[in-house]
Amino acid sequence: MVKFYSSQETYSYSFPAVTLAYFLRYPNPYATHVLSTDTIARAYDPATQRLTTVRLHLKRSKLPAAVLRLLPKSLLGASATGESQTYILEKSVVDVNEGWMDTESRNLEWTGVLSVVERQYFKRPDVPDEAKLFKGIEGAARRHGFLAFAKDGRGLRVEDNGDTTEVTSSVTLHSHIGETWKRKREAASEAASASASPAEDDAPPKMGFLRSWGTAALQRQIEKIGLSRAQRSQPNAKEGMKVVLERMREGGLVGVLEGMRADREAILAGRSLLAPLAKGPNDSDE
Amino acid sequence: MSASLAPECNEVKEKYDNCFLKWYSEKFLRGTSTNDECKPMFDAYEKCLSKALSERGIDKMLAEVRQDNKENDAEHMKPGR
Repeated sequence: MVKFYSSQETYSYSFPAVTLAYFLRYPNPYATHVLSTDTIARAYDPATQRLTTVRLHLKRSKLPAAVLRLLPKSLLGASATGESQTYILEKSVVDVNEGWMDTESRNLEWTGVLSVVERQYFKRPDVPDEAKLFKGIEGAARRHGFLAFAKDGRGLRVEDNGDTTEVTSSVTLHSHIGETWKRKREAASEAASASASPAEDDAPPKMGFLRSWGTAALQRQIEKIGLSRAQRSQPNAKEGMKVVLERMREGGLVGVLEGMRADREAILAGRSLLAPLAKGPNDSDE
Repeated sequence: MSASLAPECNEVKEKYDNCFLKWYSEKFLRGTSTNDECKPMFDAYEKCLSKALSERGIDKMLAEVRQDNKENDAEHMKPGR
């Protein structure tokens, strides 16, 4: 059983600005739970002009109380309150020629309980045919871009030229809970039957059926909780991107980096960056 | 800039990130890039980071995920789908 959530929207910023903001989106006032971001692999292919990036984010997270109640204490182990840090692996490909960026993020821990895969696909809107006549690499970059380089040393600026970027977001949730235990049990019984008496092979099948029904119901319940959490956190992810894009429009790359530094200092000092919302953004996963 | 999970790598990370952002915004996005100019800085950063990842056991976790993904990809690319 898999749960799926998807949404679409249009950013009122150019495609290059949005891709840059994606790389620069942590930390922001809506993502103060992101503790670190590291690039673990990066590859540029000059032939296709595609850039592939793999990053590792460390986030402070908490299993929802509703999930905690469903899990046996033995599974939770030391983190009985479900409070932990969790690693998120993010992969992205940017094709600047074709004007798209495809991204995918997944959790690395607790995947047995709930695996969450988030995808975002950013697309430069299609250009009308007559505009293509003027297409040269430089021209295309100018037309679709914000690529004005200020002479005042502030670096990159975002031009407010009416460009937009379409984004499709989706979250896929899949609980594998119980499956690992089942596999372990099967492995154990296989090992036992190899050495022990043949009588043990004839376990009543009824128990297995009940057990597997219980597992499926548990998985559905956990996926449902995960889905409502993902739906709550999506607006914060979008607001975070918009803060970064707005900083870029106001103060260029330098403006983004300055904002980031301020956010980081505030996080370290334990100050809240936002007026409290109905549900604190720190509770979200994204 | 965002922090590294390994504080000892923050310095090399920042050098690399700065190089990358400049290259990305001035060359990659303009379609004028011929190579990844920041490779030497990435190598220094990676050297520091990979030590930190293995000390924390994260490298094993990453290897498992990549193996799982490979199996999933193989499953999806089966003929007849």
